Amino acid sequence: MKIDIKHVAKLARLRIEDNEMAEVEKKLLSVLEMVENLPELTGNSSGLDRENPMELRKDEVKPSMKRDLILANAPETRSGCLLVPKTVE
Amino acid sequence: MELYTLSAAELAKLLREGKCTATDILDSVFARIDAVENKVEAFVTITREEAYAKAKEIDEKFARGEKLHPLAGIPIAIKDNICTNGVLTTCSSKMLYNFVPPYDATVMQKLNDCGAILIGKANMDEFAMGSSTETSYFKKTKNPRGLDRVPGGSSGGSAAAVAAGMAPISLGSDTGGSIRQPASFCGVVGLKPTYGAVSRFGLIAFASSLDQIGPFGRTVGDVAMLFSAICGRDPMDATSSKHEHADVLAAIQGDVKGLRIGIPAEYYGDGIDAEVREKVMAAVKQLEEAGAIVKEISLPSTKYALSAYYILASAEASSNLARFDGVKYGYRAKEYSDLTDMYERTRSEGFGEEVKRRIMLGTFVLSSGYYDAYYNRAKLLQRQIADEFARGFEECDVMITPTSPSTAFQFGANTSDPVKMYAADVCTINVNIAGLPGISIPCGNGADGLPIGLQIIGPKFSEDVLLRTAANYERICGGFNTVADLA
Amino acid sequence: MDYEIVVGLEVHAELNTATKIYCGCKNSFGSEVNSNCCPICTGMPGSLPSLNEKVVDYAIRMGHALNCTINNVCKQDRKNYFYPDLPKAYQISQYDVPLCENGYLDIIMDEDGNTKRIGVTRIHIEEDAGKLLHAERFSGSLVDMNRCGVPLVEIVSEPDIRSSKEAKSYLEGIKAILGYLDISDCKMQEGSIRCDVNVSVRPAGNDTFGTRVEMKNVNSFSAAERAIDYEAQRQIAVLEKGGVVLQETRRWDDVNGINEVLRSKEDAQDYRYFPDPDLLTIVVDEAHVQELKDSIPELPVHRLQRYLREYGLPYFDSNLLVENLDKAAFFEKTAALGAAPKSVTNWLLGDITKVLNDKNCLLSDTKMTPEKLAEMIALIDKKEISNNAGKTVLDEIIFSDKTPAQVVEEKGLKQISDSSFLEGIADEVIAANPKAVEDYKKGKTNVVGFLVGQCMRASKGQGNPATLKEIVERKLVAL
Repeated sequence: MKIDIKHVAKLARLRIEDNEMAEVEKKLLSVLEMVENLPELTGNSSGLDRENPMELRKDEVKPSMKRDLILANAPETRSGCLLVPKTVE
Repeated sequence: MELYTLSAAELAKLLREGKCTATDILDSVFARIDAVENKVEAFVTITREEAYAKAKEIDEKFARGEKLHPLAGIPIAIKDNICTNGVLTTCSSKMLYNFVPPYDATVMQKLNDCGAILIGKANMDEFAMGSSTETSYFKKTKNPRGLDRVPGGSSGGSAAAVAAGMAPISLGSDTGGSIRQPASFCGVVGLKPTYGAVSRFGLIAFASSLDQIGPFGRTVGDVAMLFSAICGRDPMDATSSKHEHADVLAAIQGDVKGLRIGIPAEYYGDGIDAEVREKVMAAVKQLEEAGAIVKEISLPSTKYALSAYYILASAEASSNLARFDGVKYGYRAKEYSDLTDMYERTRSEGFGEEVKRRIMLGTFVLSSGYYDAYYNRAKLLQRQIADEFARGFEECDVMITPTSPSTAFQFGANTSDPVKMYAADVCTINVNIAGLPGISIPCGNGADGLPIGLQIIGPKFSEDVLLRTAANYERICGGFNTVADLA
Repeated sequence: MDYEIVVGLEVHAELNTATKIYCGCKNSFGSEVNSNCCPICTGMPGSLPSLNEKVVDYAIRMGHALNCTINNVCKQDRKNYFYPDLPKAYQISQYDVPLCENGYLDIIMDEDGNTKRIGVTRIHIEEDAGKLLHAERFSGSLVDMNRCGVPLVEIVSEPDIRSSKEAKSYLEGIKAILGYLDISDCKMQEGSIRCDVNVSVRPAGNDTFGTRVEMKNVNSFSAAERAIDYEAQRQIAVLEKGGVVLQETRRWDDVNGINEVLRSKEDAQDYRYFPDPDLLTIVVDEAHVQELKDSIPELPVHRLQRYLREYGLPYFDSNLLVENLDKAAFFEKTAALGAAPKSVTNWLLGDITKVLNDKNCLLSDTKMTPEKLAEMIALIDKKEISNNAGKTVLDEIIFSDKTPAQVVEEKGLKQISDSSFLEGIADEVIAANPKAVEDYKKGKTNVVGFLVGQCMRASKGQGNPATLKEIVERKLVAL
């Protein structure tokens, strides 16, 4: 078993320094080893449970929250918006 | 008699008899906090001012002769992953070191409506990932029954606060044992309700399909009272159930005559300390003497639960914790070159090692090419485990197992080896996997003088039966309500 | 070598529900930034989604209109990726079990109403992301979360489209249906309908598909046409030079009419889809699915074919009517009252539409009724009023409760064909214009028009112009 730690870290937006790689991989592999002992099961967990249907919400407007409260925890705001480093796309 | 040593039910009685006020109770509880919190460190935040303001309101209502909920004027500690409007909610993480929610979790709203008084936010393992509360970014909570021991986790602060007499009751959350295991370690009662029994709205998610909020107390009655106050369908949580819950306070008065107790052999194997097995079986024997019928049963898939759990919980966590990216709330790295760099530095600096490990694992098992081997297989196994429990409950009404393989361990004992730490949850994890209710109650002490807990598991929505069984044992052994001596 | 263009389209349409898909915030465009927000749509820790039932209903109706199989038992999945406009860092969407699948749309291919069938792979529901605002004034980007959680349907076509023209037809067909069902505002300029375009080319006659390129940032139907033509030509040029088309995502730049690489296949996103554990299975009652099916009106393409066939209308008129359900219904009711279809469309698509445009209002905002229009057309047909007087009548009745007959009466618009009366007028006019009569005698026959005009004026517009012309000409010749 080999994990492409760099790729997984990129997907998870985590930064792992080169000198940490080995340790991170070792610990992850030890967890994966534990996890590997699953029995062979066939079939597809469709994720559908007809017996337990979801109750849907009525399309009725509720008051929104004041913008100050929505933004109160933001590290950086400007002109009533969240401010982030420039996006490219 | 110091008020802080009394149960919530006893305090409610005194309040109604006019023998004390909510303010008196707070005086006693905060005096206790002032005396022992520096040793126990159960709280991330203490809300003294707000609590006194609320107590004043409640006292005025009592003075006017208003009929109030039994929880009115009762102090309560809330785990720091449950959102409290205007009160810091950190998940014990650097990532949320400054997060003040602008809204209340549904449970908090219900407790406010009852008149319960929030006294503080309880320490926990970071984002509820851990079994010792050692992964908290802020502090290490000590076990009030032995200060060199961990309180268990992840709801270590909630359990310790109750055991130390700093709160008569508290709320925790349980994803793989996070209420029951610390209850066991700290010698208190802790209930993990059926999945869907209590609204998760406002509970900062770790693993959404497994998380459930539940109560701690020093008596079964208090736990029953708190559960009945917070359970029920919430339209804000699609996974909350419409089930009509039985009157648990009435249920606990019943006896155990004819109650069929199943003993699943797989929970009494080699990994479990001998003294834990003995104490649990001794308690079972006492229930049998009180009229219960004991039978051996088998749950062969138990051995796979830990694997299924770490796949499912980590997968969900990797997605649930993706929102912590330095944009909307919480920590943002001080220096970065661009957007991606900001994301990566923020998340790497803001999360602790255990959280990052699980995010990595969860990201990996969901990534392209691995989904079927891991996530899909774990889901199939989850169904197999649930089916096995369902068959088991055709033969018995409840199952009794140890809550944890051992008494509370020492700080640092398992921190270097994640797999060993995960094994501490081996008795409790299945219950979350199957979505069942489970309760941990004290059943004596080990040779080290530390509490041992037993776990009662029932079918979905059998909280009344679990609490009744627990209350019978409580009566048999003359009551659990002891506050740790921290002199 | 000849090449065949192969196109597949993914259309995203915002649904016009009152609230967002997972919370009770208002679903509206153009509000102040971050004012239609709550803890749920901004992904605050601890918040949970609850699905809006209307979103499910609307998507099922779209599914019926596109002849899909409805998966009345389905689920929602999380699509995980990081971007500042996506507060939870995952989009709740549908992955392997969409609400609707295996449908089709018939698009009109020519003015005779012949059609081509384009397969619809699936329709699923999902939430929209927020908006990023950029300004030169500072170095960052701003996030407005008002659009976060606005409900979308994503409609994915099969690669059955063979030209940019067909693509446009398909897009217009989808838009018309969304409008007919009244489930989307379809305002391109507000971004309420957007599309991603997949293009490949292959040598004509070849039956394996070429390498597919996905194009983003296609913000209008005409942009889609341009983007497809550009990309097809680009791929053909690559192949002609002996090159290989790379599987990649490109970004369309409509201003400069070019596209550029956004990401290559190697950078393909790994979205790590999995079922959203915060939401349970969607189970829609079979009876309700049927009920929604029964509520589907006649679809635009069928209506168009019927107008061509039953009413013998020209394609252009039919198309204009079909685009507007109000006008189409008005047309049919008026025609049913006996008015000639072509007269009805002339008025409806001509003068009436002009008034609507001038006043910037809808047919339903006026007091015009099919009965009034039919009555007016009958008056003209019976030559009781002139076509010109009809315009006056229209102006009077369109915003009032008056009937055409009342207006004709009040304004004295009744056309006079009584020749003895008209002869008198002609005599007077001829007598009063000796210069014109002189000119006529010198062979300037065009003075007839002038004299008829004078007669019309003298008759206060009520004279039948045809009759007057006849009389004037007769009298001049006799002079």
